[in-house]
Amino acid sequence: MARSVPRRPLLVAGALGAAPLLAPGTGRTQGIEPAEAPRRAERWRDLKAAIFDGRSTEPAGEALTLVAPSRALDAAAVPISLSLSPEAVPLVRAIHLVIDENPAPVAAVFRAGPAGDLRALTARVRVDAYTFMHAVAEFEDGRLLETAQFVKAAGGCSAPVGTDLRAARERMGRMRMTLPEGPPNGPDRPVPVQVAVSHPNTSGLQIDQLSRLSIPAEFVRALRVLYRDAEVLRVACDISISENPTFGFALAGEPGGELRVEAEDNRDRRFASAWTVGNTG
Amino acid sequence: MRLSAGRRTALLGCGGALLGAGAGARVAAAQEVAPGIHVLPGLHEDASPTNENAIANVGFIVGGAAVAVVDPGGSLAHGQRLRRVVEAVTTLPIRYLVLTHAHPDHAMGAAAFADLRPEVIGHVRLPEALAQRRDGYHRMLEREMGAAAAAGSDALPPTRLVENRLDLDLGGGRALAIAAHAPAHTDADLSLFDPATSTLWLSDLLFVERIPSLDGSLSGWLRELGALRGQRAARAVPGHGPAAVPWPEAAAALTGYLEALRDGTRAAIAAGLGIAEVPSRVALAEASHWRLAENYHGRNVSTAYRELEWE
Repeated sequence: MARSVPRRPLLVAGALGAAPLLAPGTGRTQGIEPAEAPRRAERWRDLKAAIFDGRSTEPAGEALTLVAPSRALDAAAVPISLSLSPEAVPLVRAIHLVIDENPAPVAAVFRAGPAGDLRALTARVRVDAYTFMHAVAEFEDGRLLETAQFVKAAGGCSAPVGTDLRAARERMGRMRMTLPEGPPNGPDRPVPVQVAVSHPNTSGLQIDQLSRLSIPAEFVRALRVLYRDAEVLRVACDISISENPTFGFALAGEPGGELRVEAEDNRDRRFASAWTVGNTG
Repeated sequence: MRLSAGRRTALLGCGGALLGAGAGARVAAAQEVAPGIHVLPGLHEDASPTNENAIANVGFIVGGAAVAVVDPGGSLAHGQRLRRVVEAVTTLPIRYLVLTHAHPDHAMGAAAFADLRPEVIGHVRLPEALAQRRDGYHRMLEREMGAAAAAGSDALPPTRLVENRLDLDLGGGRALAIAAHAPAHTDADLSLFDPATSTLWLSDLLFVERIPSLDGSLSGWLRELGALRGQRAARAVPGHGPAAVPWPEAAAALTGYLEALRDGTRAAIAAGLGIAEVPSRVALAEASHWRLAENYHGRNVSTAYRELEWE
C-alpha cells in the first residue's frame, strides 16, 4: 500500500515552463546512470527544444563558463557560478540555468538590466539526482551558446525546508546584502554583490493521507535589483533555487547610491529592501 | 511462547549466531548496557549493499509489561535483526517504537515491526519531516544499497507525538521520560531518560567517534547539549559510537567540534568568504579527529554557513 506524497502538478510543470518533458521520479536509475548515458543527451536535446522553441545552440567555448562542484556537499544548496568572457559581456542579455534531472529543470533565467550586465553570477541550487547542469547564453544577435557541468548530488528537492518551517515563515522576506570587496567604485570597476531573501522556497506537499499534512508551495518567482533607480538584474526562478534564494552579481557605478532589491513569490507576496552602498572616504 | 532459562542463556551466550550474514556478521552483538537496556552498535559506514544500513546505534528497553524499541534501524533487514534480538531476550510484547528522529539509519527499519501495530512515538515535527523526506530516503537507499537490499524498508507514521515531554510506563516500575528538543541535530529530536538505571538515551544528539552530522540548528544543538549536560546520568547512549559512554564527559568532544564549526564559520562569513570557499577552510583540525569526516564535514560547514549568515 503506497503512501506516496506526490508534488503538486503545478510544480511538476515548474513555473518556468518546459512542462511536457518533466517526468518526476522517472526511473529510479536516474541516480546512477553515468554522464555518458545516451538518455542524458536525449534529455538535454528535448529540454533545449522546448525551452528555446527548437532554435539551435552552439558550444560556448570561452564565452560562457559554468562552475559547479562535480560532487556536491549539500544537494539542497549547491553553489554555482556563471561567468562571461570580456568580449561576451556587452553582447549577452540573458543566461538560462537548467538542471536537467530536476522536477523543475529551468532553475533560473538571468536578464541584465540597462544598468548592469551578466559578467559574473552566482546562485545556490537544489539538485535532485545526478545530473547535467546546462547554462545557455542568449546573444543579442540571436545566437545561443551552451555549456555544461555534470554534478553528483541527489535528494536536494526532497528536503525542501532545512529546519523549522514555522521559523522560516516568520523570517520570510527579510533580506541580506553583502559587498565582499566593498562598495562599487566607478563605472569601470564592477564589484561583487550578494543578495539573499529569506524564504522557504518550497514546492510543498499535497495532503498526505495518514498525517493529513498539506504544506503549501511557496517560492520566489522573481527578483529584481536596482541601483540608483536603474535596473541592474532581473531573475526569474522557482523551486530549483535553494531555500533563502541567494544570488551574486557584479555591480558597477558611483558609490553612495541606493541598492534596492524587490522580490515576489508565487503567492503574490512582495518583499523589498534597500541599502545605501558606501560613500567615498 | 516462554523460553526456558537455559535456552535463553544459550541463545544470548552465542550472540553471533543470532545475527544474519553480511552486516550481522560484522557488527558487535547487542550489549545490555544497564539492566533491561539493550543497544546494537552500528557500523561507522554509509549505507551499502552489504551493511543493511546498520550504521546507527539502535536498541530496546524492557519493562515489566512491555518493550520499547528505540530506533528500529536503517533497513527492513536491520529492523528484522533487531526484532530477533528482542524476541530472544524477552517474550514481552513490543508495544512501542520510539523514532528519535527522521533520519533513515534510525527509522527505515520500522517496517519490520509493522505487523505488531506498536504505538509509534515521535517529535511533534516528525510527521512533517517524514512526509518531506521519505521518498528521497527510499531513492537514496535503493541507490546506495541496491533495490534488493533496500526493499521493504520504511518508517512508520507516528501515532503519538511529543511536544515537550511524555512519560512512557513500561510496567514493573520502569517509566521512561521522553523529551522533545528544540531544533538541534534535526528539527525533530527526541531523547529518553530511564530513571531506574539513570541512563540517558540521546541517540543523535550525541555522536562519538563518527563525525556529527548537522541537519537542524548548530546554535540549537549547542544549547540543547548545554542543558543536557546538567542532567545527571550514569551513562548515555549515543546515536553513533560505543553502546554506552560516561555522561557528561562524552559531550566534550562533540561540543568542541560544534563550537569550532560555529566560530570558524562566523569568522569566514565576517571575512567575506563565499559558501563555496568555506568547506575547505573551516575547522579542519577538529574534523580530522572524527571518522568519515571526509564525507560529512564539508556539508556541515555549508549548513552552518547557511544558518549563521542570517545572524
